[in-house]
Amino acid sequence: MSFLEPLYLLLAGAAAVPLLLHLLRRRINVRVEFPAVRYILRAERENSRKMKLRNLLLMLLRILAILFLALAAARPVGRLIGAGHAPTAIAIVLDNSLSTSTIVEGAPLFRRLRAAALAAAQAATPSDRIWLVTADGRVVGGSSSTVADAIQRLEPIGGSGDLNEALGRAIGLVRGAGLPARHVAIATDGQATSWRRTTEAGDVDVSAFIPPGTPPVNHAVIVAEARPTRWTPRGSVVARTLGADSSTYRIAIGGSGNDARTLARGTAVADAEVVVRAAPAERGWVSGSVELEPDELRGDDVRHFAAWIGQAPAVSVDPSLGPFVRTAVDALVQSDRLRLGAEAAVVSADAFARLPALIVAPLDPVRVGAANRALERAGVPWRFGPARRESGTAREPASVPTKLLDGATVSLRYPLTAVGDVAADTLARVGAEPWVVAGDRYVIVASPLDPTATDLPIRAGFLPWVAEAVSQRLAGDAGVVLSATPGARLRAPAGIQAVDDASGQPVPVGDGEIIAPERAGVYFLRRGGQRAGALVVNAEPDESALGRIAPAVLQSRITGRQVSVTSNGEQWARDAYTGSARRPLVAPLLILAALVLLAEALMSRGTGDGANRGSVKAAA
Amino acid sequence: METTRVPVRADLFDPSSLASLGHVEIIARWVVDGFLTGLHRSPKKGFSVEFAEYRGYQPGDDLRFIDWKIAARANKWVVKQFEEETNLRATLILDVSRSMAWTGADTRITKLAYAEQLVAALSLLLIRQRDAVGFIRYDDRLRTVIPPKARTAQWRRILHALEEEGAGLKSDAQTALMHAARLVRRPGMVVLISDLLVETNEVTEAVRMLRAVGHDVTVLHIMDPAERDLSLAGEAVFADPESGVEVPATVADVRSAYRHTVDEAIAEWKQAFSSTGAGYEVFTTDVPFGVPLRKAFAARQRLP
Repeated sequence: MSFLEPLYLLLAGAAAVPLLLHLLRRRINVRVEFPAVRYILRAERENSRKMKLRNLLLMLLRILAILFLALAAARPVGRLIGAGHAPTAIAIVLDNSLSTSTIVEGAPLFRRLRAAALAAAQAATPSDRIWLVTADGRVVGGSSSTVADAIQRLEPIGGSGDLNEALGRAIGLVRGAGLPARHVAIATDGQATSWRRTTEAGDVDVSAFIPPGTPPVNHAVIVAEARPTRWTPRGSVVARTLGADSSTYRIAIGGSGNDARTLARGTAVADAEVVVRAAPAERGWVSGSVELEPDELRGDDVRHFAAWIGQAPAVSVDPSLGPFVRTAVDALVQSDRLRLGAEAAVVSADAFARLPALIVAPLDPVRVGAANRALERAGVPWRFGPARRESGTAREPASVPTKLLDGATVSLRYPLTAVGDVAADTLARVGAEPWVVAGDRYVIVASPLDPTATDLPIRAGFLPWVAEAVSQRLAGDAGVVLSATPGARLRAPAGIQAVDDASGQPVPVGDGEIIAPERAGVYFLRRGGQRAGALVVNAEPDESALGRIAPAVLQSRITGRQVSVTSNGEQWARDAYTGSARRPLVAPLLILAALVLLAEALMSRGTGDGANRGSVKAAA
Repeated sequence: METTRVPVRADLFDPSSLASLGHVEIIARWVVDGFLTGLHRSPKKGFSVEFAEYRGYQPGDDLRFIDWKIAARANKWVVKQFEEETNLRATLILDVSRSMAWTGADTRITKLAYAEQLVAALSLLLIRQRDAVGFIRYDDRLRTVIPPKARTAQWRRILHALEEEGAGLKSDAQTALMHAARLVRRPGMVVLISDLLVETNEVTEAVRMLRAVGHDVTVLHIMDPAERDLSLAGEAVFADPESGVEVPATVADVRSAYRHTVDEAIAEWKQAFSSTGAGYEVFTTDVPFGVPLRKAFAARQRLP
């Protein structure tokens, strides 16, 4: 039993009044002259035992009446024995996130959640309305058996889903049911990272079940990336693991499971970045994975990545660019990251004739006009402005991860001005003005690559930047890598017509939207039947943090009239309908109080006729 | 057009209403007149063979005693009254202790007022029957002693005595009864009017002695209705005005037991007086005067 206005319970203190009156009865202040006192004395003497018992009963009845009234004022809500439950709109939110597949005490946690949810669903009656809402956003409504079947078929997904959204949806469903009793029952593993937001439940009762037990120590791969995405054919795999200690990892490429070729093995220190460089023999779009030894949560022991592997682009160098560029390209050629050839050019703007090209501003300001005319002829929508000799520092946008240009000093530059609508990336700025921009098969640097104009050629990042600019920006469109969590909805890149399913069969993309599969893995994108990118599905890194939220904190995250958290699944299933079985007890208590007062009145009145009764004051 | 005069029966009026209408003397006359109006004729009732005087006809008088000659001469109805030859000597004993001067409600008269009215009416009735009537008032001592006489002026003396002080802190009924025995040497009638808030033994012993010397004793027990059934409400300290004893009580708690106790007490009084051969009647102060008057008069009529 609970109380909606518990402060009124203080009225129960008034129960002491009859008690005090009973005890202090001999201190009556009203004095009445009454000649037949001898009869009163005799009556008391002869009936003392009976009168004491009667007075005691009267006192008890008065105390009971006050207690009942105080209880009624506190608006109690409780269960009436044998009353069953009223028609209830109930939504069962079943957490089927990846973390629920953790093995706890020999069995996946999800089994216990599913069993509890099943019990709650089977307790529904035909007059109830019931829904199942899962962490991945699925909603199943209908009869008790329909929902029970859906629960039995449910399996954990490969990601976290969104429990807050599922809860909000469940609250909306029960609110719209039009039944007075509304309840949302949540079965969750209580993963703290799943309950970061606050959800308003309002007048909907919410109960949550978190199975008892301590989550195991988890090892997980939380980062697995191919850097760059385009390997020529050299590239790197960057990985990061989670765990209390180090763990053994395996990096594999091409295929899945035993078909994959091991690229590297090693021991990763927890939360430290692992970088493995490789130049695989595979060509084209390939999938890869970083794997750990299996532990209680298998789903996050593997993390996938995808890369395009191909030959290094062939590039020519304009001799007028000076020694620094030539030396850099030579070094890249020697390390097989570039080849000499005519596929792309690194050229001074005034000498440039065709794309693709890395276009560098001329060293001599008088050549700016020629440079702009060359840009115009090639259809590049940028123009150099007048030379500006002032010191500045290059800053890369936050979206650029490598930061190879960041901090470069610039003393001579020709401010770039866009012509018309330009679809281009600004790779670096000096002040507020673009300094390095990239577009379709071109990269433009607004300063000569000479130490008299900028210190970029003598910075450590110059070589890798040239390599990346040539291989990633000029070597043609290999495709894109889309990273997603299971079940996520993504806009399909232009030209993508299909996405491979888990068996490798292409599935056409509808309405320009791709729905990420529930299972983690690499799913290749298709353009004209050819692989044109990859959809890499991995669980959210947060999903590997199995720490649980404290019940009190979870209660605070769900604000509403009645929110409870229990670790007893059977009780949770039973209490799912408690809200409807719990009814206002005001009326029964008032009836009880009335009955008690009636009994008190009858007992006070005794057998006499009080119709012609005066008052002692009148008599006085 | 002939009109019919309906006789007024003051003896059947509510006592408190009646008492508010005038002095005890007037009220007593009304009560007695009303009482006599309703009385059935009896060979024993009031008229002797020896002529005494005429008086005006009153409704209820026996038509046989109308003097038709005077009626024919003077166009006036008179009845002949005869000298009664009974030797009855009646003594009315009234308890005027403080407990009698109490009423349980403002709308009712006190027990004493009721009893005084009863004394006035009864004495008038007896005197009209040519009985000798004596009167004793007592509380903790004898306040008034009027020896029995059959004169008309005796009634005035009794009325005058009713105005004397009283309200003592105790009722000494035994002394009063014994004094009555001394006043009336020959067997006669003794009427005790009291609330009987005294010890049973004292009174019954005195009554037994009166009965032993041949007196006919009638006890009229006067009670206020509130004393009869404790028809009050609330809780208070109840104080006896005579003894000063105080008892705190909640009326609702004790009412039932109280009523039972009062019933028992009345039964005990009845038993005690019955064992001595005395008459006993209980009246509450809301009962019309005619009722106790009839009881007392009936006791007188049983006597020669």
